[in-house]
Amino acid sequence: MTGVKSLAVAAGAAFGLVRLLTGLDLPPGGVVAACAGAAVLIVAAAVAYDVLRLRTTRWRLTPERLELRSGITTRRHRAIPRDRVRSVDLRADPVRRVFGLTVVKVGTGEHAGDEPELALDPLTRHDAEVLRRALLHQGETAESCDGPLAELRWSWIRYAPLSVWTFTGTAALLAALFKMFDSFGLKNVTTRLARELWEWVVTQPLLAIPLLLAVHVVVGVAGAMLLFAESWGRYRLDREPGRIRLRRGLLTTRSLTLEERRLRGVELHEPLLLRLAGAARVKTIATGLAKTDDEDTEDTAALTPPLPRATALHIATAVATHSPLASVPAPEALDRAWAPVPVSGRPGLAPAPGLPPRVPAPDRLGDGSLPAHQDPAPDRLSDGPLPGHQVPAPDRLGPLPGHQGVASEGAHPGGPKRPGTAAAPGSAAVAAVAEESDLARALVAPVRHPVAALRRRVVRALAAAGAVAMLSAGLVVAVRAGAVPWAEGLIGAGMSGQSGVGAGSVGGSGMGDDAIGGSWVGAGAIGGDWIGAGAIGGGWIVAAVAVPVAVLAYGLWLAVAGAANLGHALSPRHLITRRGAVVRRTVALDRRGVAGWTFTETFFQRRSGLLTVSATTAAGRGHYEVVDVGRSDGLDLAAATVPGLLDPFLVREAPSDRRTSVRPRVPPGPRSSPDTIEGLTLDPP
Amino acid sequence: MSATGLRPPRHQADPRAVSWWTVQWLMLMAPLAGAAVAAYALFTSRPGWLGALVAVFALGCLALAVVAPRVSYRVERWEVTDDAVYTRTGLLTHRWRVAPMSRIQRVDTARGPVQRLFGLADVTVTTASSAGAITIGGLGHELAADLADHLTARTQATPGDAT
Repeated sequence: MTGVKSLAVAAGAAFGLVRLLTGLDLPPGGVVAACAGAAVLIVAAAVAYDVLRLRTTRWRLTPERLELRSGITTRRHRAIPRDRVRSVDLRADPVRRVFGLTVVKVGTGEHAGDEPELALDPLTRHDAEVLRRALLHQGETAESCDGPLAELRWSWIRYAPLSVWTFTGTAALLAALFKMFDSFGLKNVTTRLARELWEWVVTQPLLAIPLLLAVHVVVGVAGAMLLFAESWGRYRLDREPGRIRLRRGLLTTRSLTLEERRLRGVELHEPLLLRLAGAARVKTIATGLAKTDDEDTEDTAALTPPLPRATALHIATAVATHSPLASVPAPEALDRAWAPVPVSGRPGLAPAPGLPPRVPAPDRLGDGSLPAHQDPAPDRLSDGPLPGHQVPAPDRLGPLPGHQGVASEGAHPGGPKRPGTAAAPGSAAVAAVAEESDLARALVAPVRHPVAALRRRVVRALAAAGAVAMLSAGLVVAVRAGAVPWAEGLIGAGMSGQSGVGAGSVGGSGMGDDAIGGSWVGAGAIGGDWIGAGAIGGGWIVAAVAVPVAVLAYGLWLAVAGAANLGHALSPRHLITRRGAVVRRTVALDRRGVAGWTFTETFFQRRSGLLTVSATTAAGRGHYEVVDVGRSDGLDLAAATVPGLLDPFLVREAPSDRRTSVRPRVPPGPRSSPDTIEGLTLDPP
Repeated sequence: MSATGLRPPRHQADPRAVSWWTVQWLMLMAPLAGAAVAAYALFTSRPGWLGALVAVFALGCLALAVVAPRVSYRVERWEVTDDAVYTRTGLLTHRWRVAPMSRIQRVDTARGPVQRLFGLADVTVTTASSAGAITIGGLGHELAADLADHLTARTQATPGDAT
């Protein structure tokens, strides 16, 4: 197998040799002989290395651990206790598949990235599957119980072209081709070709430009579809006891197994184009997954290809609600973490009638250690919005421009969808179905954030547009007055200015979903300003007006979409948060996965009564934010998510006091001195 | 609906921390003010209006170095209960952080050379999240050591891998 692969290297080397030797004026026969010699050498070296590597590599599976001894010069002995194994991933590229081989990667899921995963390369397909089952404590018969969670439908390929790559892919491909030809010494050919193409475009723009655009689109679409087919062909998502198995790949097959113990939630990932088409992708939030880019085909967190939103929602809720935290008794540590803090001695914490009740956790969550004021009726979970969090107060919401009223089921901008009707597979328990639909409802229609969040974003957009307008105006005035002698040079720079604005707006679309979206508008704006400057050189003052207007329009759209997409909710087991204008991310984070809180209040947020609540967790990105939520609502949400943890630090005021003191304060207590720290029970020596 | 707010954590940094922070600010601000004055003296023809401007800038820098630590001292607070570590930091952007005891993975104390002069230490509490550690800065070093011991003992007493 290595021989086959090394042939590719040999071919490349032959090319290089040809290029080198033709310059040396040797007879053709000599060139061929040299190439053949080099090829034989390379293949022999590769085969020798691999034989040596295979002879020095030994692995064994004992009842306690998996051991691997490897290394030709540096000997390594690695052992993984079998109960630490969290993932067993199989991967076979086309060459390996021809030979019936597979690479097995065994992960412990703890510090992905610190040390390479233990890889067995190669095993036969049968051995690999046997090893996978053995490592994951699984009998031969334990296939998925209810049939696959999801299976590829080729109709999903219609969403494949809806990515940035479709529009930039052709250019990237051309650049790669150009580079390749260049390295083969064919630069003259490509340069001449490019020049002829350019002349053709200039002489017949009406014919050439549409034709080129069409070719561009066709190549982009075809490329995206091919990529989709290769990555997601034979896609199949299975639930095995305690884990989820993902199989995909047309040429290179991949099999990823994720232990549900590592799962801390799911994410609905909706970039703008997919969102407009009513599609979404599902990603996992799990501990110990390597971080990769969103568009990467090897993204280990990706659970599905782009697929219809209702299906995505169904898969997301099914994966999230069936995780073992529900079906298996939680480890004792977790229960302790969420056991309510005894609230004795702290008046003002006793649940008053006016307080939002703790969100009732399902009975298996707390095992009887729930606070006394828990909502008594478990079946309430299924039949209504959660008190205090699902139903927004009408005066808080106000009519958002472009999004009238509250998005209830079916009235969502993403198109009509009835998540409740996407029934759970087969014989799922009634409770699970109820929980699932509850989560689905929260994912689709979370509570909107206050109007102040929209105001903040609009102000930010206006400020960015204003800055751009002032810059443009300043440049116009300066050039008119002849104060800028180098302005002439900008005529030539006009072209590069065009690409500058392109880069600027791509940056904006990539990052615009973050809170710093405003500043990216600014960055795009700076790019835009170059156009303005170049245009003046060319005598088009119109552009100096158009650019700030475009920046303003884009900024306002970002503001409105960003504010409309903000949302949060609490389902029985998950904290749901949604954000993002360009890429909308709806995250359902397991409430047991919350490992702490950060509340941030900038100067401007404080003035508009907003707060950003960040739940820190060991999984995924490490922290998930509820952005620009009303101060009081945000704190109540956090307090309800992890009952007991925050209560000692919160103060609640009656509504009548609200107007007089916005920021409730209690006297900070006695000044600290090293031996009177409350709560710090230092043992006597 | 009642209005919910966060109460400030109970404890402040050690009073000696104010001097330490002042030294830190001065190390940043004094060269800045000095550079401005030097540039004015060396590279300009010393017009009066610019002189006034530079003087205001330099005095502003020094005033900031004196005032900012005192404001920090009022703002930055911390608290350790049986169940959580709770801190508040930030002058303009307020930031409250809560880490439950059961999720703490590591407790470090650190003492820089200048800190040692003032008898101070920092306690850093790390959880499994990549969102960053919580640092309680400017504690008296005996207190910091006791606190770290206490936190370590409590954390070890809590089973689980804290993820």
